[in-house]
Amino acid sequence: MATQEMITYDKIKGVHNIPLEEFYTSGHRTCQGCESATTMRGFIKAAGPRSIVTGSTGCMYVANTSYMTTPWIVPWMHTQLGASGSSAIGMAAGVRALKRKGKIKDEHINAIAFCGDLGGGDMGLSGISGALQTNYDLLIIMYDNESAANTDIQATGLTTYGAQTTFTPPGKKTRIMQKRWKKNVAGMLAVGHPTCKYIATACATYPPMDFLNKVRKALAIGGPTFIHTYDPCPKGWDYHPRYSHELGELGIKSGLYPLYEIVEGQVTYTYDARPKKSRIPVNDFLSKQGRFAHLIQEDIDYIQKMVNQMWDEWEIPGIAPLKGVLKSK
Amino acid sequence: MIKRVEINYRGIFQKSLAKKIGSDIVIIASRMGRVGMSNGRYSDAPERNGIPCKYFAFITHDLAEEELEAEAGAKLDIDECDLSVVLDDTMCKGVEPWGWHGIRPINEKVSNGSTLLVVSKHDHAELLDFVGSKTFDWKLATYDGEPSLAGLWVNKDDLTHERTLGAIAAADPDIIGIEAVEKYLNEKNPKEPHRAQAARKAYDEVLEKTKAIKPGMGVKWQHQVPVLPKWKEFNEGSAVPAVKRGFKLGPLGQQRNPQFQRGTTKTQRPVVRFDLCTKCTLCWLECPDECFDPTDDGLYDIAYSYCVGCGKCADICPVKECIVMVDELQFENDASPWTAYKKDRGAYADWAEKKKSKGRYIHPYITGRGLEYVKGEVVPLDGKRGSSRR
Amino acid sequence: MMTAERVHTDRKVYEREELLNGCQAVAHGVRLADVDVISAYPIRPYTEVMDQLSRIIADGELDAEYIIADSEHSQFEIAKHASSVNARAFAGSSGTGWCYGFEALVVTATDRLPVVYIVGNRALDDPGAFGVEHNDAMAVRDMGWLLLWVTTPQEALEHILLAYRIAEDKRVRMPLALAMDGAFLTHSQHIVKIPAKEAVKKFLPPYDLGAGRLHPDNPISIAPQVNEDWVMEIRRQNWEAAKRARGVIKEAYKEFNAIFGERYSNPYFTEFMTEDADVVLIGLGQIAAAGRTAAKRLREKGQKVGYIGLRWFRPFPTLELREVLKRFKAVGVIDRDFAHGSPDDGGVLLHEIRSCLYPAKNRPAVTNFITGLGGRDVSIDDCIKMFGITQKAMTDEKLDDYVTWIGVRE
Repeated sequence: MATQEMITYDKIKGVHNIPLEEFYTSGHRTCQGCESATTMRGFIKAAGPRSIVTGSTGCMYVANTSYMTTPWIVPWMHTQLGASGSSAIGMAAGVRALKRKGKIKDEHINAIAFCGDLGGGDMGLSGISGALQTNYDLLIIMYDNESAANTDIQATGLTTYGAQTTFTPPGKKTRIMQKRWKKNVAGMLAVGHPTCKYIATACATYPPMDFLNKVRKALAIGGPTFIHTYDPCPKGWDYHPRYSHELGELGIKSGLYPLYEIVEGQVTYTYDARPKKSRIPVNDFLSKQGRFAHLIQEDIDYIQKMVNQMWDEWEIPGIAPLKGVLKSK
Repeated sequence: MIKRVEINYRGIFQKSLAKKIGSDIVIIASRMGRVGMSNGRYSDAPERNGIPCKYFAFITHDLAEEELEAEAGAKLDIDECDLSVVLDDTMCKGVEPWGWHGIRPINEKVSNGSTLLVVSKHDHAELLDFVGSKTFDWKLATYDGEPSLAGLWVNKDDLTHERTLGAIAAADPDIIGIEAVEKYLNEKNPKEPHRAQAARKAYDEVLEKTKAIKPGMGVKWQHQVPVLPKWKEFNEGSAVPAVKRGFKLGPLGQQRNPQFQRGTTKTQRPVVRFDLCTKCTLCWLECPDECFDPTDDGLYDIAYSYCVGCGKCADICPVKECIVMVDELQFENDASPWTAYKKDRGAYADWAEKKKSKGRYIHPYITGRGLEYVKGEVVPLDGKRGSSRR
Repeated sequence: MMTAERVHTDRKVYEREELLNGCQAVAHGVRLADVDVISAYPIRPYTEVMDQLSRIIADGELDAEYIIADSEHSQFEIAKHASSVNARAFAGSSGTGWCYGFEALVVTATDRLPVVYIVGNRALDDPGAFGVEHNDAMAVRDMGWLLLWVTTPQEALEHILLAYRIAEDKRVRMPLALAMDGAFLTHSQHIVKIPAKEAVKKFLPPYDLGAGRLHPDNPISIAPQVNEDWVMEIRRQNWEAAKRARGVIKEAYKEFNAIFGERYSNPYFTEFMTEDADVVLIGLGQIAAAGRTAAKRLREKGQKVGYIGLRWFRPFPTLELREVLKRFKAVGVIDRDFAHGSPDDGGVLLHEIRSCLYPAKNRPAVTNFITGLGGRDVSIDDCIKMFGITQKAMTDEKLDDYVTWIGVRE
């Protein structure tokens, strides 16, 4: 089995070596302080100009371009909400066939599909699973702002427990309408696709450069690969845009967002939240967002308990929610 | 007769406020026996943080509701208005809702003899340094206040809502009358007379702070309205040309989307003390709008015309007083600050400190919780670098 | 007045004969079109196309990516995006599977990507049914798709070649759905003459999206969000392309006939015994066989009847059909579909034919038959019965029997 060390890729060492040129550039309709814009800018900066990109319907589609104007320098195409996986297959398969048949130059072209948590984690899960079973070189990035942010913030399968959204408003009778625990997408995909060589979680701004290098690594390892990014959303999470980079860091340090990469089945925690001392209280994260303003202590305690379990009891902490095998007599 | 009211607001930060004002205009007018309706400019949704948006209210004394709907309701935007309310005075620098609308003067829709009503701490003269001139007489009215920014879930109850209703009554009683406003607010909040009082106070304020503006007063508007091509004049298959690839060090060295700059999204802009910069790259690296232009000396210039003023750079900058967010109305243009710094470091530092000294505030984590005023510290040219870490 | 079904063997354009059903014939068409990307997902009755293609690829007779998708939606998105990078793409489906992918079908048309899909017509669930009905394919009729029905395996094979040629033409650039009656055409075997590769090369140029292709050397953004200030112009462009398609279709058949012999006298529809006819039946797909046979037998009895097999449904051959139909006294429209609650509660084709005829000065009487739903047999006798009713309609003024259900247990 390959080890991480065996994988050679053009790693960016130090912020001063980050490529200066942009391939997703100024003049998009994103919110002030949009972390997903940073994610988008980052992944294509890391991937470089010999890339083709699809973007699933979602806030980063609608926010991204306004007709006849585009912030993209590399070729980009819209794809349907649940079609990130299939669009990646289509691009990669088309390019492979054309190269093999000598219809285009034989060079490496990155095929990257970008989707949100609603499109990727809910509707598009089956298509992404299909893509991860192929042997095409493709990268699917699911930016997770924990909501359907294009329709003014509705809960998705990845919304944090207790959060207020327009589908889950605190009411006179029921305080918490968002009772679902966050879906563990990267972990489920890793466990479910043994031949997939690279799956990671990341955050565009924390630790600095971690995301850029995960993208580089995914593209270097090749085959179908998947990265789940945690993207704080000032609009839907209700915090002032100037703190966007802090929220991601707090979510990771509180243990709510496990940060790891899995290379050929080997797990590396890129922020190791297993030791209790390396985790800050979840409330340090929750209390900075308006979407949790209605929570009371017992709600916060519940979230803390679930997070503790995730790190202290899971067979593979933060990734596989199994608590071990019972001894049979 | 139809009274058209447009309420200009800052995306999601003011969406609830604008909608509440628009709705109350209709309710109050209908209690006065008038007919009304309200709606938002649909193409603004989903409103992004900070993006200039519009909410409308339409009132008539003599038309049937259906006729009002046909005249006003069935439109995506209005051709002209009888009152234009501005909930954040930095929008006086112009508004650019979406791509291909262009940067438009805030008073574009204000018709002959009508009023532009701005909540602001600035006086008329300061606002007229930015507002476009017109060929006819119109009115500029102000009432004192901060831009009332809130979030999606935690809203800010600073009486801007009530005060705006009072201000509207003063600007044009044919829309709503002040007594009706007071009656409505008192009925709605029997235990909170201060709300109706706030409305009355703003009413009196506007009566005295309304100024007749003559043709030609204000600035000559530089930005053109983009011309939309005919169906035969652009590619089929929904394919649009990408931004041309290109990068070089220095001001505007990075190619950007030329048709949608959206610098009008900002309420504050970052002022940089280049002499204090440690070249840590974080402002450039974490800017969500790719606004920082790397230069040959390792500093980062700012393309202000693309900056939306999120404030991330100021928050992430490790050096105290190096990047500070400053009220957008203090700036006349989007010229390259790095170029000015290279020309005369001393003069630039003085200029930066002068800008920084006025109205320093930051927002708490949850926007709706109000502003925190902070005292700036004047650092001399090449002065000692302090850490900004809280 | 022979229908254009004769295959000319007096030239080297056909290399061999094989016994093929409709599905297998389509697969050979795809092989000859040198398709680059194929996405498969099983649903009866079209599935055998993909079975056959996988074999063809396994045997090295076609160099293409063969992707087993996770759903019809993915199937169509895969083909759409392959097409966007300038790869010739093929897929297909039936019945509710076609509907499952409908979102992807819609955007493929608005993106103007010239994929070719096969629809093995199948009744829509519920209850689950395998037999033929045309409502599935017809769902795309207003979406900017080219849509046609073929009636023999030979025609099916040849129309895959025509399909790519027409769909990929720069003046058109629209996706094309090639429909064939499930169970009957998809599964009944006939001797098929297989065109020679060289002849096909002459007829079908390589796929070239030009400035529309997604490639690092051609940086474009495809389908960014539009506001209300753009949509009408984009629809207007697509409208124009759909109209241009009519001329391109004529060109393509002309070229095809020149290379493969006089195969198709009329691209849009085939007339059978229509000269001097008072009454004709018109329908889509497989019913043609029974319809023509019935016409032949009634002619033997001296009745002036004929049959028109309509091939192209989108674009609809408005002028051509109007010119032909106005010659007759009565027209019986056969619908293997339903449009519940529509005018006179007739079928989809009825409404198309009627509105096509409306501008004509002296219009024939038009009557309608709903028949063969869910794969129910439509016999020669059924067609004779329909001719009879249509003959009555020549004089009958009553409005309440515009529509007759044929073959339902009453």
